[in-house]
Amino acid sequence: MVRAYAQEHTYKHPWERVTTASWRKFADPENKSTLSHILEVDTLNRKLDSTSGKLYTTRAITIHAPGPWFIRRIIGQDICHCVESTVVDANSRSMQLATRNISLQKFIEVEEKIRYDPHPQNPNEWTICKQETSIRIKPLSSLASMAEKIEQKCVDKFQQNSAKGREVMERICKYLEAEASGISI
Amino acid sequence: MAMLREKKNTSLATSPCAHLRVAYHNCFNRWYSEKFLKGQWDKEECVSEWQKYRECLSQHLDDKHLSRFLEADGIVDLTNQADSKRHDGAPK
Repeated sequence: MVRAYAQEHTYKHPWERVTTASWRKFADPENKSTLSHILEVDTLNRKLDSTSGKLYTTRAITIHAPGPWFIRRIIGQDICHCVESTVVDANSRSMQLATRNISLQKFIEVEEKIRYDPHPQNPNEWTICKQETSIRIKPLSSLASMAEKIEQKCVDKFQQNSAKGREVMERICKYLEAEASGISI
Repeated sequence: MAMLREKKNTSLATSPCAHLRVAYHNCFNRWYSEKFLKGQWDKEECVSEWQKYRECLSQHLDDKHLSRFLEADGIVDLTNQADSKRHDGAPK
């Protein structure tokens, strides 16, 4: 049982600004209230390929994912550690992110892939974001009958959270735009 | 004491590194938009900020699943793997 869905969103901001916003999304303190499910984000590793202009990053993302009480009782915790790996290719202007949970794998596997590319219709001013998410609940015997329901719940939650993520991204892009058109040093 | 123990068990294990993290992120964000995106990717910057932050992480990150990503080969490219399911491979 796997639930997968794809989403697309056009940012009316250039690729450079959108990817800058992506790095700031979880780090800027003013987004904490909107993205309250994100508890902590740490950069664990980073590598710059100085010949090709590719930047590789591994980050740890700790998510607060409270579920129904019976889930918490079975799992015993309501936080989840995820690892996010990112490749930014400055030369071809692409940013790819893949995020996967590394804790609670006995119960659930979530994988999210995001790509930011210049929008084909307006490559210098717009950015297209393509997102694919797949969620799989492991069919524990005690949970089997409920697994499907829970999967749908997870999908709903993820969609809510990615809408919040887009809201934050738009806000940061606007801010960066204002900053760039103001006094630039 | 109970409170102390409880605190240690939450996810916020790397909180002591928060100020080093902010210093590094600020430096990185500046480098990313002012240098990297403009084609100046020949040189890495923020090296001292990065070293201090990482040192702190390696002291406080007690989750073994996460701390292995701090190793030199901790760069994983999940974005290109068709079947990346088993990269973890930790036997139960």
